[in-house]
Amino acid sequence: MIIGLAHYLTVAAILFTIGVFGIFVNRKNVIIILMCVELILLAVNINFVAFSTHMVETGANEPLAGQIFALFILTVAAAEAAVGLAILVVYFRNRGNIAVEDIDLMKG
Amino acid sequence: MLVAISFYLLAFVAIASAFMVVASRNPVHSVMFLIVTFFSAAGLFILMGAEFLALLLVMVYVGAVAVLFLFVVMMLDVDFVELKQGFLQYLPFGFVVALILLAEMIMVGAAYFTGETKALATYSGEKSNLERFGEVLYTDYAFFFEAAGLVLLVAMIGAIVLTLRERDGVRKQDITKQVGRTRETAIEMVDIESGQGVG
Amino acid sequence: MPNLYLVIPEILLAVSASLLLGFGVSKTKNRAPIVRLIAIAVLVLYSVLSFLLGSQDGEAFKGALIIDGYARYVKFFIGMAAAAGLLLAGDYLEREKLDKYEFSVLTLYAVLGMSIMVSANNLLALYIGVEMQALALYVMAAFNRDSLRASEAGLKYFVLGALSSGLLLYGISLIYGFTGTLNFEAVATSIQSNGLSAGVVAGMVFLLCGLGFKISAAPFHMWTPDVYEGSPTPVTGFFAGAPKFAAIALIARLVMGPFGDITDQWQQVIIVLAVMSMFIGAIGALRQTNIKRLMAYSSIANMGYALVPLAAGTVSGLRGMLIFMTIYLITVIGVFACILQMRIRDGMVERISDLSGISKTNRGMAIAMTAFMLSLMGIPPLLGFFGKLFAFYPAVQSGLTWLVVLALIASVIGAFYYLRVIKTMWFDESEHEFINPVRALSWTSAISALLLIGFVMIPFVARTGQDWISIAATSLF
Repeated sequence: MIIGLAHYLTVAAILFTIGVFGIFVNRKNVIIILMCVELILLAVNINFVAFSTHMVETGANEPLAGQIFALFILTVAAAEAAVGLAILVVYFRNRGNIAVEDIDLMKG
Repeated sequence: MLVAISFYLLAFVAIASAFMVVASRNPVHSVMFLIVTFFSAAGLFILMGAEFLALLLVMVYVGAVAVLFLFVVMMLDVDFVELKQGFLQYLPFGFVVALILLAEMIMVGAAYFTGETKALATYSGEKSNLERFGEVLYTDYAFFFEAAGLVLLVAMIGAIVLTLRERDGVRKQDITKQVGRTRETAIEMVDIESGQGVG
Repeated sequence: MPNLYLVIPEILLAVSASLLLGFGVSKTKNRAPIVRLIAIAVLVLYSVLSFLLGSQDGEAFKGALIIDGYARYVKFFIGMAAAAGLLLAGDYLEREKLDKYEFSVLTLYAVLGMSIMVSANNLLALYIGVEMQALALYVMAAFNRDSLRASEAGLKYFVLGALSSGLLLYGISLIYGFTGTLNFEAVATSIQSNGLSAGVVAGMVFLLCGLGFKISAAPFHMWTPDVYEGSPTPVTGFFAGAPKFAAIALIARLVMGPFGDITDQWQQVIIVLAVMSMFIGAIGALRQTNIKRLMAYSSIANMGYALVPLAAGTVSGLRGMLIFMTIYLITVIGVFACILQMRIRDGMVERISDLSGISKTNRGMAIAMTAFMLSLMGIPPLLGFFGKLFAFYPAVQSGLTWLVVLALIASVIGAFYYLRVIKTMWFDESEHEFINPVRALSWTSAISALLLIGFVMIPFVARTGQDWISIAATSLF
């Protein structure tokens, strides 16, 4: 049984869907939403690595670029998690909880 | 064959635990499942022949990001009573997760060391994954490297400006003051008559 | 690195931001005002440098960044808008006890990110640029950390912004996978030679949706009203101008460059975004009572109008977009200079009804605000009219007459709420008097109002401006 590009892309697509789905169905806790963002980025990373390692090195193709991109996604995702958690902590200090349904001060 | 079995194991665990991240009621469990997901994804990376990124994923995500999440979860809202109650009840479940992780590691290791994964990566040729990264990261991609450094700096400034609280009345080491001390400010010359105290 | 001189403006920003950070952090006393002044000077210098630095075009860092007439034009206005934003912010930050030097430093980094976005010639540079500005903006939205509203705004902005980055990245990964490259020109070549695959189209749609979040085009606009309302007012003013211009400039570069050969594919996406934005912006604004929320919906609608000429996909369309966005930028800076003057003795007010009767008490501000509202409506001879004229005409030329008709209908609906603001200012009974604004605010609003009323109509200025824009627009083709 050969495991090919399509297999990995499918896994990535499922993870991506779970991440997006999680952001919208979650009603309890904002921190789960931040974790869903991390899942989405993980899915993208799997995509990049899969494309990169299954690419034939000819002509204008840059097989390594995908892995480099994944490296930078890792970096930026860590930065994003730091900022997101900082904002969450600030919100918690003001509000006293982090339930999603309570984030409704402004409407309309 | 080994690769195929490993792939299905890793993919299944990754997806199932990703689902549990969303579905579990306790955020601490969510973080734990997130770690399992990242771990399995790192296994997938090794299967694809991207060892360096796999190790990086474990280091950055499990080592830094997931721990950061745990800190914040613990800081914000956690029902410690509930956590303690569940210990024995969750013990078998914990064993299962540990076994799955162990199986993943063994499978991936076997697939890697028998050389089955090497055949998949079409580009790798003579050089190792890490060597190829090293060749381009500080040359062709130097600009991105610098820019990513600035992104991290922005995140650092942001996190500090949002959460740092300076309290009054806290005794702190003032390095400028320490270094800037001169003979005049530090030493007091007192003439003491013999047989009498200072005061 | 031989081409380093091309990126001198970016290097200036990066270096001075880092130096200012060091200068601010080693504090003996509050250095925020002086850091802010230096940052304003740096931004003006950046604008001038990026514009004057040369007629030389070229690629820097092995094709990661491209510096052409288009990038220079957009950078000039982004730098100026950011400088104006910092100038306006000073008084507010001091009064609200938010005056920290980090604000100016973050602004500089945000502008650096936008600069990378505008010059991006590579999908990785695009991503890094977008993230650098986004991270700085998330923090600025929540900058008033003791206010529940500001932190809620920051949280919403962050969650939706991170989701949009995810969409954008997924799109980039598909484009990379199906074309095999990250470079814009190589993507175009690959599409030409290999034909179009479903993967590339899907990737392009994801990418455009992710960027649609950044310009707050409907249906990705949900965050806009809340973030505009909750953020500190000068931050809102900054959000409304420079980042939008950078993101839409990036969209234009993408659709003209790497996807230049598949106009049919992206045109539909742009048209859907444009139509939905125009109508959701126009209708959503009708029932707003808060002036910042009103401006949020107004910006959604205006992004819709800016996408109309882009949908034409021609040189004159691109020119129309640049003219429209430039005029919008000037207007928005003026409007927020006025909103920042809405201060009574107890603090800031932001209801529309608080404006009632200010024609008697603050006549200058009333006149300026009226000019801005009329310009946003598109009434001649104000500049806003020409903005819409140049924006809609290319669309008619390329056979999108029905789209222009829809845009005009949305403009008419939109005129209603701009008129309501004017009516409140001139014909309602006065409730209270605003305290005298600092000079920076009144001068900024006066200057932008003058720019709109007629200064630019002087033939010499108009001719030069047209030349700049034409050079900018043609450099993408």
